[in-house]
Amino acid sequence: MDTRKAFKAAVVSSNGTVIKGLQIFIADLRASPHSADHEKRIKSEIVKIKQQFEASNSTHGGDKLHQDRLGGYQRKKYVAKLAYIYLTSNTTKLADILFGLDQTLILLKSNVYSEKFIGYMLLELLMEHKSVAAEIGERLVPYVTKDVSSSNDNFTALALNFLGVVGGMCTKFAFNEDLVDEVFQIVRSPTSSQYLKKKSVLAFLVLLKANLSILTDNIKRKQIWIQRIVSLLDDTDNYRLTLASLPLVEYIARNIGPSYCVRLLPQLTDILYDCIVLGTSTGKSNHFPTEYKFANMPNPWLITKTVSLLNAIMVSPKEEYESQNSQLLQSANIDPENLGKLRMCVAKAVELGTRRINDPMEKIVQNTVLFSLINFAPKLDPSEVAITNSVDALCELLRSNEINIRYLTLDSLIKLCSSCGKIALDAVRYKNMNLIFHLLNSERDSSIARKVIDLLYILSDKDNVKTVVDQLLSYIVNAKYIPDPQIRSNISVKIAILTEKYATDSTWYVQISLKILSMNFSTSFNDDEVWHRLCQIVVNNPSLRKITCVQLVEYLQGKQLSEFIVKTAAFLLGEYVELIRDIITATDMFNLFSEKYFMVGNLTRAMILTTMMKLHNSAPEVGSKVIKFYQLELNSLDIELQTRSFEYLKVIQLSKISGNNNLIELLFQPMPPFNTKSNPLLNRLGSLPLDTTTNSSPLKEGTVAPPPYTSTASLPLVNVPKPPISRHSGSMMSFPSTTGNSNTLLRGLDSSYADQQLSPNWREGFSRMLQHKQGIFYNSSLMKIVYRIIHVEPHHLKIVLTCINNTEWEINGLSTSVISARTHDNPEYVVQNIEFPSNPTIQPHKRQGQQMEVIIRRSMDVQESPILNINFRCGGSVNNLSLKLGIGMTSTIFHGDSDAHPQQQVTLPQFITRWKALGNTLGKDSECVVESMPMRGLRAPDTDPDSTDILVGQISQILKRMGFDIVEQDTVKNPVFAAGIVHTKSEGNFGSLLKVQCRVDGKINVTCKTTVPGPLSSYIVECIKTTVAG
Amino acid sequence: MSIRFILCFNKQGVVRLIRWYVGNESSGDTQDVIAQIYRLISSKDHKRHSNFVEFSETTKLVYKRYAGLYFVMGVDLRDDDPIYLSHIHLFVEVLDSFFGNVCELDIVFNFYKAYMVMDEMFLGGEIQEVSKDVLIERLGTLDRLE
Repeated sequence: MDTRKAFKAAVVSSNGTVIKGLQIFIADLRASPHSADHEKRIKSEIVKIKQQFEASNSTHGGDKLHQDRLGGYQRKKYVAKLAYIYLTSNTTKLADILFGLDQTLILLKSNVYSEKFIGYMLLELLMEHKSVAAEIGERLVPYVTKDVSSSNDNFTALALNFLGVVGGMCTKFAFNEDLVDEVFQIVRSPTSSQYLKKKSVLAFLVLLKANLSILTDNIKRKQIWIQRIVSLLDDTDNYRLTLASLPLVEYIARNIGPSYCVRLLPQLTDILYDCIVLGTSTGKSNHFPTEYKFANMPNPWLITKTVSLLNAIMVSPKEEYESQNSQLLQSANIDPENLGKLRMCVAKAVELGTRRINDPMEKIVQNTVLFSLINFAPKLDPSEVAITNSVDALCELLRSNEINIRYLTLDSLIKLCSSCGKIALDAVRYKNMNLIFHLLNSERDSSIARKVIDLLYILSDKDNVKTVVDQLLSYIVNAKYIPDPQIRSNISVKIAILTEKYATDSTWYVQISLKILSMNFSTSFNDDEVWHRLCQIVVNNPSLRKITCVQLVEYLQGKQLSEFIVKTAAFLLGEYVELIRDIITATDMFNLFSEKYFMVGNLTRAMILTTMMKLHNSAPEVGSKVIKFYQLELNSLDIELQTRSFEYLKVIQLSKISGNNNLIELLFQPMPPFNTKSNPLLNRLGSLPLDTTTNSSPLKEGTVAPPPYTSTASLPLVNVPKPPISRHSGSMMSFPSTTGNSNTLLRGLDSSYADQQLSPNWREGFSRMLQHKQGIFYNSSLMKIVYRIIHVEPHHLKIVLTCINNTEWEINGLSTSVISARTHDNPEYVVQNIEFPSNPTIQPHKRQGQQMEVIIRRSMDVQESPILNINFRCGGSVNNLSLKLGIGMTSTIFHGDSDAHPQQQVTLPQFITRWKALGNTLGKDSECVVESMPMRGLRAPDTDPDSTDILVGQISQILKRMGFDIVEQDTVKNPVFAAGIVHTKSEGNFGSLLKVQCRVDGKINVTCKTTVPGPLSSYIVECIKTTVAG
Repeated sequence: MSIRFILCFNKQGVVRLIRWYVGNESSGDTQDVIAQIYRLISSKDHKRHSNFVEFSETTKLVYKRYAGLYFVMGVDLRDDDPIYLSHIHLFVEVLDSFFGNVCELDIVFNFYKAYMVMDEMFLGGEIQEVSKDVLIERLGTLDRLE
């Protein structure tokens, strides 16, 4: 093929630009196959380029423009040659080409696209080297900033590309505020082309990754910028910008806070639904552009990235308790329509993934989608059947002939099992264990073998652990072909963890552990953690000591020698030599060790020297042998062994001189129990998701801390982090009554509630809502929102909102989120059953409805009423409304249908009696007095005493609208007396009495008493204040 | 999920294209990393091995061989692998359309144009554009620019 196309290469891009000198140089190099010639050619070229550059530099000092002898084209050619040399030398010639950096920078100043391009290209290659980045990073900033803000889009594109490539490798760019601002300008500007936007979004992502404080330093900027970024996803025409923006949004969701992104759920759901369900349908409704299909599948990139973002903003019910981040969405909080759509996507992907097709690429793509959705499915709180179906579909794919599919299936099974827990695990265990064992023994690919081992590890429980361990052991002992020597070590570690975790039978534990240690691998299995762990456990469990020692002696007497066994034996037999006196004499033991001594490494020898000292202490009959042994070792070549022998000899000598063993006893006290709490081997599971909850074994109960010597046969050191005792018990405590499983959309956005910047004019709708059951909540030239409040129960309000497009243009990208002041720790109210606008688009002058329900659980402050965020685009502008709903305690004063619940009018004497009674029993605790409260929309204070009459009338009217009963009486005109009963779900209902004194200056004095002490009365007064102040 | 690096080399291990997005985080020099990857991947028999292999504590490789060229992407260990095979395949398809029945020599002689293709498709370790039509049109325009 090479010869056939040898000359074609230069001709190929005849329509494009060609650098002829570069082509000849490359052809020359290819024509000299001998490496010596090759090298010579490169060297001479480098010399030539150097001369050219130097000549150019020398003339460059003076009159630049006129005397640029080199010229842009030549410069470009030489720089391109340097790039070629760098590349084809596999980067080894870096040092030889660095002289060209200055000339490369000159290329960046060129106004010719192809010259600039080559300049940036070489720098993009070289900046990966830290030395280069350090040398020129700073100098590059002005060039790049200039090009980013250039009026030539092609130059801007080159600079953005440069930032997207090197921004993570040299921090100079991300910390330059001007440059970052310039890049963001392109992201936000409605006039920048989609082409540049895509590049700027990705460049911005790279800068943000290098410097998160771009968004986190300034709260206001954080809000506005993130809003802009999130609104990039609204481009639903061809999803091109969406695709490029998803990673940035996901990065924000994961690293800054998901609260900004949870409102995207309906939008993301639609994307998935469009691609997976509509895009793959065979009917006429399939409008998915073929341009965005790949291997017959609608845009797999968009699907995987969307799922990835969904994964970032949602938690599975199982993770919910453990999650630190209460801002994440849970399936229970998603409205049924979207949840249904998402589940349908999963089902459709499973259906597609199990279809039979022949094209391997198509198969891969289909499975890409399948695995992506199956891995996401646990977050949708799937039914047991759905999980089992997924598992079955996957297990079927394990039989695939395609090696990639088997690999990916295993990966997916591991993820599914660790996130769905017992149901998934049982489904796999039920009938697929043999298949998996078969894979273990037949796969030739190390990546797959690793996955099989990981899967077996996860599948282990106390019932099958012996089988699994046997299979794994026989694999490392017997397998004819082990694809990767590392696998042995990997398996040993897993076996060690499994045996420890599920050991019900201590003899078995010891047997297996010693067996792993006894395997003499010629491989890199050179870590000590396994035997360390065994020693710790034996020290802490007296019942294991004897059986371990007995077996160790057997191993030592055997022919096979494993250094790990010798080390374990040196430690444990020395420590517990007394226990096996009946099996082996001290002399025999000494002989055993002195024989092994010369077969092991120095480290082990040092250990044996200590063991001998212990033998010496417990068995005087070996005393002279030990001393002789030490004396010999005084001549050891190893300084450590020499020193140790010398020291032990001295110790023995000293104790003989002093005539007692005090020093020896002090030095060789029995080993105290270890208190390493967690198994260090757990850190070595690598990429395996660390999920311990799926493996809860009864053994673990009550083995939290390593007990001292007195422990029983169970293995007390096994202290794997425990799963929460019960996820529900925790949440039920903080959510008493029925809200434990409430449908609150957003949980715990407390901090984000405080961060909200409300839109101008929010107060009008806020105060209207307290007074009227329906009306206009918000109005602007773009959008009008009307509301209606329906009482489901007195404390349970349904709020129906209708957004009306006031303009002649389409409103699109409409999305809504509701933010509660508190969602944790016994919140005052919860918002639930939110129905989002069903369609993100509103045609001119058309409307779109949405609704939500608010349950008032406890006394609440109207100032902490839920905040509604609405985002939409209209005529190219991005808009965000942030409005506070007017929901307060007075919203729960409810009469219902007056016919059904005939109102009980309060008479003045009744009122006075109650007023006094409250004063007597509760005193000031239940009272709130606010004097000279201003009223809005009132004429200027009138000296006419009748003016208070008008005021009295107005106040009575307002209080009536709010739901209070006005005490009908003629005795006293002013003040106005009113009463009302407020309702809460958890704390019950409370009566409230009001006295409103109208003053001649047009202000009012309000006194409120309630039948409960605490802040309720002030909350009610606050509602009145909000209403009258307008 | 994002691409840490893209690497393209031939059967002899000569690098044709290399692009880092996060810099080389391993202890070895760039050239050592390339040599390791070459050794790891060229030893694979594509009938018996999957296209995925763990490479380091942080990175795994997704690779595919097209004629004499290996295309390799280094991605995060926890990433979903299969989509990167689509990345690679689309990249090769676009190279093929752009050069017209692409072969290794096209990439040898026009390595800078191959980079142009790569940069239009990938940026910051993410995929930027997936429509072949859009890409080919755009690349044609860029290629004709002075």
